[in-house]
Amino acid sequence: MRISRRAFAAAAVAVLLPLSACGSGGDGGGSSDASGKVEGDITFQTWNLRANFKPYFEGLIAEFEKKYPGTEVKWVDQPAEGYADKISADAAGGTLPDVVNVSPDLVAPLAKAGLALDLDKAAPQYKKEYLPGAWAGHRIPGMTGTYAFPWYLNTGPLFYNKTLFKEAGLDPEKPPKTYDDLFADALTMAGKSGGKVATLANVPTIEDFGRYGVPLMNEEGTAFTFNDAKGVELLTKYKELYDAKALDPQALTATPESSGKKFLTGAVAMNPGSALDLGNFKKQAPSLYKNIGITDQITSTGHVNMYVMGVMVNSQSKRKPAAVAFAHFVTDAAHQMSFAKKVAIFPSTAGSLDDPYFTKEDGTDETRVRVAAAKSLKTAVNYTPVLFSEQMKIALRNEVAKALQGKQSPEEALDNAVKECDRLLQQQG
Amino acid sequence: MAVSGISRVRRQLPTSPWLFAAPGLLVTGAFVLYPFVSTLVNAFTDRRTLIPGQFVGLANFRELLQDDMFWTGLRNSTLYVLGVVPPLVVLPLLLALLVQKNIPGITFFRSAFYTPVVASIVVVGLIWVWLLDDRGLVNSLLETVGAGRVGFLSDQWLLLLSAMAVTVWKGLGYYMIIYLAALGNVPRELHEAAAVDGAGAVRRFLTVTVPAVRSTMVLVGALSSVAAFKVFSEVYLLAGPSGGPAGEDTTLVMLVQRTGTGLTGRVGYASAISVVVFVVTVALMLLVLRADRKEES
Repeated sequence: MRISRRAFAAAAVAVLLPLSACGSGGDGGGSSDASGKVEGDITFQTWNLRANFKPYFEGLIAEFEKKYPGTEVKWVDQPAEGYADKISADAAGGTLPDVVNVSPDLVAPLAKAGLALDLDKAAPQYKKEYLPGAWAGHRIPGMTGTYAFPWYLNTGPLFYNKTLFKEAGLDPEKPPKTYDDLFADALTMAGKSGGKVATLANVPTIEDFGRYGVPLMNEEGTAFTFNDAKGVELLTKYKELYDAKALDPQALTATPESSGKKFLTGAVAMNPGSALDLGNFKKQAPSLYKNIGITDQITSTGHVNMYVMGVMVNSQSKRKPAAVAFAHFVTDAAHQMSFAKKVAIFPSTAGSLDDPYFTKEDGTDETRVRVAAAKSLKTAVNYTPVLFSEQMKIALRNEVAKALQGKQSPEEALDNAVKECDRLLQQQG
Repeated sequence: MAVSGISRVRRQLPTSPWLFAAPGLLVTGAFVLYPFVSTLVNAFTDRRTLIPGQFVGLANFRELLQDDMFWTGLRNSTLYVLGVVPPLVVLPLLLALLVQKNIPGITFFRSAFYTPVVASIVVVGLIWVWLLDDRGLVNSLLETVGAGRVGFLSDQWLLLLSAMAVTVWKGLGYYMIIYLAALGNVPRELHEAAAVDGAGAVRRFLTVTVPAVRSTMVLVGALSSVAAFKVFSEVYLLAGPSGGPAGEDTTLVMLVQRTGTGLTGRVGYASAISVVVFVVTVALMLLVLRADRKEES
């Protein structure tokens, strides 16, 4: 009996269709019970930390294994580029490590897929050790629970080129603090340089809207709201900057790397960064380093943006007691403090920011940045909505670009961006 | 004894070819066939990265028709084929004719023309970004000669053209080698006879060389059009992850990457776009082959 090719193909599709549809993915999550003896092998994944902090993490792991005999921690580090893709591949393939370094926007889809352990149920005893805002940083709208231990916090300073400020007739000791100051200074600089020096290299992001005082989402976390009058006002101002070349012409396609390079070459006058960048300036642009100005992020709300890093426990882990114990060990006050002394990050544990290390200057640029950042962190807000995915970032960016190019009005652009982000939000489930 | 030995060999014969082919078949099955069938199946589901999908019929394809970004991607990928294929069919042939001659130092030029092929596309992309940047070498030269700066990386169309230029520049050497092999098979007597009949260099090129390498030109056309329709790296590196200003330089494969990856990736929808890419690619191949057959007849 011969089977025709067509029949065979149809049969193959019919067989494979349901198989594939039943493929990988979360299965609703494991138990949230993490009680029991701390023992066994676990895997810990960090986000691009091995290159600079290998001895620190090796020491930390050795200390944990000594404290809990019978445990063994395997440390894996992933590069910054494509980190979300690596996690998604592991999550889909069922090979997610037991303890994972995450940011709130990465936790949200993992929690929804039942892969992140709810710490409010599994480890509520640790909650009081952390700053309330930091603990809440890994809550997901529409879900109950907290899905990662808060780890380090950061609020990048804003660097500016004093020489360019001076050349534009602006006071280099008085950099802009609010968006209104920024817009005025940027237009002055573009006018004085004949459009050759831009003040900013990036289009406004969701955090800019937040710092301008635009409400980003409704209280339920079910819809975006950044297309209100205030949002339109911000985008209209950016359009003025773009037309006057106060916003770099390549801002529409800029990446953090390309805008950093533009700042190094003196093509733009201001750029956000971190204390790590100071060493980079010293090495790559010594003349810029001599004239570098450091100020707080621009904000019209009085609150700067805070970036929160977290440590998540895989709800499917077979060694939950050890995984929870290790995640807490990494993020407890003592270890966050020792990590903060190695790199310019800030602990999320209660009281740590009052340590003299974060309150007293010794006259160097490094301590000046540190003390200023620690001070602003006390009132900082994590403006990035945890449900704001990469696709949403691109949708906003593209609509903003259309408005800046004059292809649509700022109002239309933001309406379209909100519509698209809401659609993506619905699809996330 | 001898008879039983032969029959043993005969008995083993049917399995032996399969054993030899097994490694290749396994690799092809695991890394080509399975992903292909899986993509085909996913295109009819609403599968996401972390959430298994349900069968949704043609919903993804219906959504594609309403998606402006899909049409932008289709337009850009098609323009890429139109912009890249003609120079990639003609220029490498001219280069091959040039380096075919045995003149002193030609080995250097052969190697030089081939170097971009072996260079990493990321490195090549970064170099071109530095060259074409607002303050890059090209714009500095333009300023020096009194012309204004050109927004190679900020204008939607110039960006696409710049990416095409990178693709052509990088592909020249590869297709040149293919043409060199074909030119080696063109009988010298034909050229000599044409020269005796009074044909000049251009005439000999058009009436002897081109017909002799026509099938190679078809092959280069087919290969380069498929590669051009699936372009990703050049545009991604020059235009950035958002696909140029307002995403206007996004190609279909960039859209697949953007839609289907990450923790919130829509695998089903991205698979539907991949199926469209596959269908268009096959159609392109058939079109080129059909045109060739028509020419032959």
